[in-house]
Amino acid sequence: MSGAHVEPLTKNRAGRPRQPKNWRNPTLLAITIGFVVATAWSWNFIDMTLLTLFGGLSDLGNLLVYMFPPIFDNFPEALRATIETIWMALIGTTIAVVLSVPLAFLAARNTSPHPLVFAVARGVITLTRAVPTLVLAAVFSISLGIGPFPGIVALGLHSVGMIGKLFTEAIESTEFAPREAVLSTGAGKWQTILATIIPQIIPSCIGTALYRLDINLRESAVLGFVGAGGVGFLIQTELRGLDYQRAISAVSVIFITITLIELISTRLRASIIGDHLSTPTKQNARSLARVARDQRLIEAAISTRRLTPPWIYERILRVGTGLMFLSLLVVALFTIDMPIISAYKYGDDLVRSIGRLYPPDFTFARAELIQGMLETTAIGFTATLLGLVIAIPLGILSARNIILRRSVILLSRGVLLLIRGLPELIVAVLFVAAMGLGPVPGTLALTIGTATFMAKLIGDALEEVQEAPREGVSATGATRVQEFISAVLPQALPNLVSQTLYMLDVNLRSSTVLGIVGGGGIGFLLLGSIRVLDEATVGAIIITIFLLVYAIELLGTFVRWMVE
Amino acid sequence: MQDSSTSGADPLISLTGVSKRFPNGTLALDNVDLSIPRGQLLSLIGLSGSGKSTLMRHLNGLHRPTSGVVNVMGVEVSSASNRQLRGVRKNIGFVFQQFGLVGRATCLENVLTGALGRLNGPRYGVWSYPKQLRSEAFDHLERVGLVNQAYQRADTLSGGQMQRVAIARSLMQQPQIMLADEPVASLDPESSAQVLDLLLKVAVEEQMTVIVTLHQVELALGWATRIVGLRDGRVVLDRDATTLKQEDAMEVYQRVDKSLDPDVSRQPDASGVTQRAVQVAP
Repeated sequence: MSGAHVEPLTKNRAGRPRQPKNWRNPTLLAITIGFVVATAWSWNFIDMTLLTLFGGLSDLGNLLVYMFPPIFDNFPEALRATIETIWMALIGTTIAVVLSVPLAFLAARNTSPHPLVFAVARGVITLTRAVPTLVLAAVFSISLGIGPFPGIVALGLHSVGMIGKLFTEAIESTEFAPREAVLSTGAGKWQTILATIIPQIIPSCIGTALYRLDINLRESAVLGFVGAGGVGFLIQTELRGLDYQRAISAVSVIFITITLIELISTRLRASIIGDHLSTPTKQNARSLARVARDQRLIEAAISTRRLTPPWIYERILRVGTGLMFLSLLVVALFTIDMPIISAYKYGDDLVRSIGRLYPPDFTFARAELIQGMLETTAIGFTATLLGLVIAIPLGILSARNIILRRSVILLSRGVLLLIRGLPELIVAVLFVAAMGLGPVPGTLALTIGTATFMAKLIGDALEEVQEAPREGVSATGATRVQEFISAVLPQALPNLVSQTLYMLDVNLRSSTVLGIVGGGGIGFLLLGSIRVLDEATVGAIIITIFLLVYAIELLGTFVRWMVE
Repeated sequence: MQDSSTSGADPLISLTGVSKRFPNGTLALDNVDLSIPRGQLLSLIGLSGSGKSTLMRHLNGLHRPTSGVVNVMGVEVSSASNRQLRGVRKNIGFVFQQFGLVGRATCLENVLTGALGRLNGPRYGVWSYPKQLRSEAFDHLERVGLVNQAYQRADTLSGGQMQRVAIARSLMQQPQIMLADEPVASLDPESSAQVLDLLLKVAVEEQMTVIVTLHQVELALGWATRIVGLRDGRVVLDRDATTLKQEDAMEVYQRVDKSLDPDVSRQPDASGVTQRAVQVAP
């Protein structure tokens, strides 16, 4: 009777004080020391000093002076290139979604037909995530030529990594009860999946796709740096021609576009995923009228036994948004000259161009390869530390429950939102233009990206802390600063540690491509090898990048597991 | 079903020497023999973990026995192909404790999924079902008293309402057999009575053969014609409900325990603990 043991066990657990998890402390300490040592080494490796830092800032000041006043006579061209960027992101994301849906069903524990299929599907998803979009685009442009096509293919393939992973998780988190029930009615396997799993995962899948669209818009803005279409090419050409006044106008067009689309997609996500649209969330006249209208429509539909669902607000919104996306996609496909019809031919080229990377040659550029990888790693660590140093005060300033002055919060949140609108590589290309080639401009560009992203995460983490301990501390007569240090910070710390690790992961990935715009690291060698069509070395570099990214992912997973 | 038109003496459902051992080693069914004629209203009683749900799931092939033969309407479910299994399931309505509705879908859509066995190919959304079937689904919702909720999402309903939608979904199958596994265990007493009454009413009207698992003996005695008690995967009681007194039925839960399991007599409250422990589990 195993049941008889249940009660005493719980009693024991409740009665005894919780055991301290001693064994984790030395490991955590080792990780912290490792992080500090790695950062110190990195700082040294890329010759970062406070002097270079401030020298870089003054170079940036000079660049800003050169950029003003902006000349907007390239506006039509910038707009055309920006629109192309949007279409590329849209098509690339769509391709990724289309590829991800079947892949996710094969990779989800609860729908995969066979353990072997499961392992292969998981492997494919992990693999696509490990090679950065820009690297893929650079490789594909060898066989597919210059233009948006290789860029779209790269976006489509790389995004499968994230979209496929999140779709798989969505499928795995569905309830089993409806599936068993519908299967019991005599429905077939696919009928059951469509009737029970799809409705459960659709909201989160739409959310994932929209989120990825945001990311891909940023990615496709820089694909032009390797000749893969979009606004990046225009920006790079203008910077190369030292035409800073026009470059800044092209940058501002893409910047405004990205910010606008992010605002729209955030709202869309909220309204599509939001549950129970037919219940009023706000007590204003409009939403009450909407609910009343829905009620009338439903009643009319029932009383007339209407056999199609009534057009309630929720349905109009969903169908409308869907149709809008479809028509945008059609426009995109017609605007961008996608050689879909001859896809088989290009598919052949694609396979061949990947095939030519084999066998990889690690020996030809061995010294540069090692140097590049070390530099990439060093940039990742340095940018994470610098970004963190800037992010902490910014994050505190943007936390609504810490800073009580509304104007300060609005200002800091606004600044963060604005800076996030610029893709890191565009910042990097500007910095390279100001300071010249090398790891320092690349590091600083990553630093800015890290700082804004981390500041938001820190702000959110601080806003999530519980109020009670703060009240307790402030009731003892502590100052606001004391209260912050002893009641807020300890609560938010575990979250911050894990966010920092995540950021390190992201930065190490990003720094593999910085070199493509001259920002230091392995990317520089990659672009050089592609230019001279040294495909064996390209293969070696891609494998090295893959291994680095994979190692980081494993390390990140391990450390996060230790922390939590 | 044509092959089921064999004479009434033939059992509609029969289990012969059915045993089930799960991969984790649990012996859920232990050599069960049971034969159920057409039109019977049978109630399966027993503690949680006694094998009731496992037995039910063997009848429509959700589980396959480790040994023994399950025969339903002339089909050997225990060894049937997927196609045969679908054919059998079409004729068996199954009502679950956790309702098994898709929360985000409307009630009408949920009821329509009951028709999937009659259709070829996957369907998604109300519009993908033939109008004839939609109209039928409306009728069934009307029958369970929820036609006003047809275009409401299933997760906006109360537990009792959800179970009624699940019954409407089963009716959509036009089944000859209705299985209900703890259909009211998640409901308050008032909804429980409502749901059981509804289940009984439609079963009698449609002349269905019904098997309901219940752990409340009073409910079981109230309407079943035959009571079968399970304990540790074995049939320990099989009686006509009219001649059975409540005390006799309670043996399934208490006295029978002691006679079968010598360990239990040393721990008088052991069965109580088991019950509590299992009820806490999700």
